Amino acid sequence: MKLMDPRGLRFIAAAIVVLNGFFPALWILLTSLKTEAELVAKPISYLPHNPTLQNYVQAFTDQPLLRYLGNSAMVAVGSTVLSLFVAALAAYAIARLNLKRRQLILTCIVASSMFPLVTLLVPIFETMRTLGLLNTYTALIIPYTVLNLPVCTLVLVSFFHSIPKDLENAAMIDGCTRLGALWRVVLPLAAPGVFTAGILAFVNAWDEFLLALSLNSSASMRTVPVGITLYQGEFSFPWPIISAALIVAIVPIAVLIALFQERVVGGLTQGGLKG
Amino acid sequence: MAQHAWFDRWRDPSEKTLGVLLLAPAFLLLALIVVYPIGKLIFNSFFDLRLSGGTGAKFVGLENYALVLADVDFWNATKNTVLITLITVPGALVVGLGLAMLANLPFKRQWPVRLALLLPWALPLSFAGLIFAWFFHTEYGVVNDVLRRLGAPEPTMWLLRPNWAFAAICGAIIWKTSSFMALILLAGLQMIPKSLYEAAEVDGASRWQQFVAITVPMLMPSIIVALIFRTITALQTFDIPYTMTKGGPGNSTETLAMLIHKTTIDYLDVGYGSTLAVCMFVMSMAITAVYLRRVGQSA
Repeated sequence: MKLMDPRGLRFIAAAIVVLNGFFPALWILLTSLKTEAELVAKPISYLPHNPTLQNYVQAFTDQPLLRYLGNSAMVAVGSTVLSLFVAALAAYAIARLNLKRRQLILTCIVASSMFPLVTLLVPIFETMRTLGLLNTYTALIIPYTVLNLPVCTLVLVSFFHSIPKDLENAAMIDGCTRLGALWRVVLPLAAPGVFTAGILAFVNAWDEFLLALSLNSSASMRTVPVGITLYQGEFSFPWPIISAALIVAIVPIAVLIALFQERVVGGLTQGGLKG
Repeated sequence: MAQHAWFDRWRDPSEKTLGVLLLAPAFLLLALIVVYPIGKLIFNSFFDLRLSGGTGAKFVGLENYALVLADVDFWNATKNTVLITLITVPGALVVGLGLAMLANLPFKRQWPVRLALLLPWALPLSFAGLIFAWFFHTEYGVVNDVLRRLGAPEPTMWLLRPNWAFAAICGAIIWKTSSFMALILLAGLQMIPKSLYEAAEVDGASRWQQFVAITVPMLMPSIIVALIFRTITALQTFDIPYTMTKGGPGNSTETLAMLIHKTTIDYLDVGYGSTLAVCMFVMSMAITAVYLRRVGQSA
């Protein structure tokens, strides 16, 4: 006996998944359009009656949101580029060179991500303090690069494996050096892999909270995940303004994953190490 | 001539030299951010070292460790961390498996479902914490509003009562992390050959029998990978309780990561903070090792 036709069931299944994923963002969007008066009215209304964009203006004036976004972008882009560069070199050596103990080398790099970062917070904080790097982009770019090294290396190793060795040999017969072949032949062919690893690294760096909170605490150097928690005062929680700031901060990352979803999913299942 | 030879070697180094050169940046970074800090951490744990006072480091031997073992806050934070792990890891697995099985149905358009699984993953944890703090707001939160419509006589003070706050935090963590689980498990589900289910269907196996006899065993490798990563991150829980309750009320939702952060970054007590970190480090490594072994046996 069929209770319902399969198309109806499928629709319900999709609706559950979509609702679960989008509901929080949707609720924040609705909150961001409400006035303070409407927010405290009871019973709470789900849809804003007099939608206002005033909260978005205040999101930028109450806190230096633009500055936070800029800092996040600098740190995320910087560490993404650096981790791709370092991981590409290491992955090439692991995938292509005739090295003993290549598995051990890969394990070392991946295992480093198993160490709880929180416990390393203290010495990293001390080191950056000694080097005078607290409240600089460098203070975050270097640890984030290490944080992303395992994912990037894993994704790139598997991409390098998929590139036929003959192409490289041909380039070397034509007079390319080994590094020349890496730069001119292997990397362009591995571009999709580099790109996938890059997106994962970018999202990881964009999202990081604990180090950003601890190492870059001055107002002008805060990243978005940290800065966004500061709209709330001791006793006041201006939720419409916080919501507006959240929407502004969610949009860049949502657009990025929407554009490249297939790559992100592929990369995640290949070497995704983020919870 | 000698210079030429050197130049040629540089342009086209041997495999081994090239290997060392290519791996050097990665290992230098690991040395700076992982290896050196571990050493420094253990070293500092034997000192009374406060960055706030003018006094330098004073060697105290194992005194810090004795203090940790007698520290009520440490055991409270340990209990909370372990509880969060025990609740949210299986919780995220169950929810994630459910989402993955729903998302695995043959939809005409794949992207809305895929994006719905990716969005929670891509969201910073601190955003999720803020959003859920708003959901669980006593007066104006949507959770209490729904409960009231369902007939609850008075609002639950979610974030103001220890047990409720703990439940709210676990809920937020499960929501945030289950989509990552779902993505990993979905990839696993898509690898299971359809022919297995067809054969089971012919043999008259029920849906539930198919799930137990085919889906679960075939999915085991993906489940194990997802569980390992989730457990490792759960032991480090910081962002969501920090943004939802700052550890409160009292310190009823304070995790080990939060205690270490407070001790070192807020109070600048590096010696004691390092000792706490060493203890957490040993505990999480031990849990991970036991776990890996168990999982290795069952796989």
